[in-house]
Amino acid sequence: MVSTFIQLLLSGAIAGSVYALLAIGLVLIHNGTGVVNFGFGDQLMVGVYILVFAQQFLGLALPPAILVAVIVSGLLGLAIQSLVMMPLRNRPVLIPIVATIAIGAALREGVRAFMGPNPWPVPFLLSTSPYRIGGISIVPSDLAILGTAIVIMACLYVFFEFTRYGQAILAACANPTGALIVGIPAGTTTTGIWVLSSMLAAIAGIVIAPLTTLTPDIGLIAIKGFAAAVLGGFASLPGAVVGGILLGIIEALAGYYISSAMKDIVSYAILIGVIVLLPSGLFNRVSVRKV
Amino acid sequence: MVTRREILKVAGGAMVLVATKSAYAADATGVTDDKIKIGILGDLTGHAAHWGTGNLAGGTLAFEEINAAGGINGRKLEWISVDSESSAPKGIAGFKRLVDQEKVFAIFGPTSSAVGVPLLKTMSSSSVPIFIPTFSSPLITNPPVKNIFRSGTLNDADQGRIIADYVASISKKHSVAIMRQSDEYGKNGATNVGNRLKEIGNIKISEEQFNASDTDFTSQLLRIRESDADIMVVYGYPAPSAIVMRQAKQLGLPVQIVGSTATASRTYAATVGKEAVGTRSMTTTRYLPEGDSPEIVKFRKAFEARFPELARQTRPEATDQLAYHGAKTLIEGLRRAGRDLNREGLIKALEGLKDFETGIAEPTTFGPDRREGNRSGFVLEIKEDLSRTVLPKAYSAI
Repeated sequence: MVSTFIQLLLSGAIAGSVYALLAIGLVLIHNGTGVVNFGFGDQLMVGVYILVFAQQFLGLALPPAILVAVIVSGLLGLAIQSLVMMPLRNRPVLIPIVATIAIGAALREGVRAFMGPNPWPVPFLLSTSPYRIGGISIVPSDLAILGTAIVIMACLYVFFEFTRYGQAILAACANPTGALIVGIPAGTTTTGIWVLSSMLAAIAGIVIAPLTTLTPDIGLIAIKGFAAAVLGGFASLPGAVVGGILLGIIEALAGYYISSAMKDIVSYAILIGVIVLLPSGLFNRVSVRKV
Repeated sequence: MVTRREILKVAGGAMVLVATKSAYAADATGVTDDKIKIGILGDLTGHAAHWGTGNLAGGTLAFEEINAAGGINGRKLEWISVDSESSAPKGIAGFKRLVDQEKVFAIFGPTSSAVGVPLLKTMSSSSVPIFIPTFSSPLITNPPVKNIFRSGTLNDADQGRIIADYVASISKKHSVAIMRQSDEYGKNGATNVGNRLKEIGNIKISEEQFNASDTDFTSQLLRIRESDADIMVVYGYPAPSAIVMRQAKQLGLPVQIVGSTATASRTYAATVGKEAVGTRSMTTTRYLPEGDSPEIVKFRKAFEARFPELARQTRPEATDQLAYHGAKTLIEGLRRAGRDLNREGLIKALEGLKDFETGIAEPTTFGPDRREGNRSGFVLEIKEDLSRTVLPKAYSAI
């Protein structure tokens, strides 16, 4: 039935935009610092808990609570970079990656101790009442996730492609020594990336958490973000978005037309197929390093 | 003809039984003239911390109250808490620490199936009385183990049976869909529901599954819509179950939703939102923690005063309530065991409990061959204002 197929495409795209938001954050950190941030999901979680804390215990309305959450998350990114990543900057790349795992676990258990293990309700940004058009349910709050993913991707794309600071970040990441020679301080740009990605994590979390419910373990959904990032090439922001949405749609179609038990098997088989056939993902050019 | 080998085998077995019995009888480890030392084992961190923190809070509150009232037969309770960190190896290490180093008399916990089931062999080979107030794996009490008791909670086998009996009684189309989590929790629950429905007969059963970390359930829900079921049983953790229930309403599924006890938490309706209205959940007790019976009000006020940081998280919850009920039941066992306290005496005293009431959870009955204290459940419903009400009929798994 056509309406069922369209419903699956729509729902898959919305689930995929959750993965895309996560993938964008992962790609941003990876592009800007060379580190794969396994604590990204937990940074996302912290951002939403700050929102809940600001609303429930400080009595703030939703807009200022969101602002507080985004700013405090940015400061968290600054702290991570200044206190952990900066001292580890000259160590083998595996060390900072392991550090991100440790930071994630510390944030998760810290929040669990302070806010408890129970789920907290998070307010939806838009209505959850569906509009029904030709047998298809369209939920405004779900569309907010898709819209946020596209807007963030567009903003970051413009930032990196068309602003001097964005170009400086990319240059510093590609060649820190060369960038330093031409006056781009690698440390400052790396700090900027950590702050930016942490703020992005908060925004992503605030959009996603009403759908998924908020617990200290919400960050575990970042695993799907990793899959989406790999599908998109792990270095490409448009690739992260398309990879995420594609993964969501594949899951939805496989779950309906094959079996819900086979959904993940089919999705990850396709993912492995892409990695084998296109090692750089769907959207990433193979980089050639001249020596 | 009886062989020499068979005689030796029987004699050996009898000697082990006698030795074990005498070990229990003589064993007053952890008991002094003025104190009884209890170990509290539970997941205070990790994914199962909800139950472990409840176990600690409910136990602490009941133990402090009995101490303030003068203790048990002239002795005060002393307790030590160990965090099993939602991890089976940590749980085993914690159990051994409580038994071998801390020399406790009895243990209150563990608190999750993920820790308790791998710990079962270690627990059953010890002589320490173990009292479990929360988790739901049927393997813990079936077959019964001499030193392991459980109160309050409804085990997964009984819960599956009760859910099946309930949905069979309300399904007009005789068609039930089971939407279950893909892990052991969901698989066992769905198997128990499905088996009982097959026993009842004349009911079409369809089944879909999901992962605990999934965020979209459209494909499963559309398949259920086509199955023509008028009941959907959701057997999963609270977070994915909340999304399933919300999306089912948004997709306009014409089904009555019935969740497992995992969806019977106090904050669940607020987590789902207005789509929770009309959904039903299985619950282990007729007493809700936000209820107004005198015992519940007294418990809630005492809990909120003692644990303001937990009250801030909209607790007490069912887990706190079950732990408090369990601790009071254990205390009753210790009281009935008398001043001449030893492990055999406590086990005998617990076995003698019949319909022991606390007014906090369902009455507890144990026996020489019964270690599952509660075998009944209720159904609760979310009302228009997102408050909860327990439907009057009790369902028994016996």
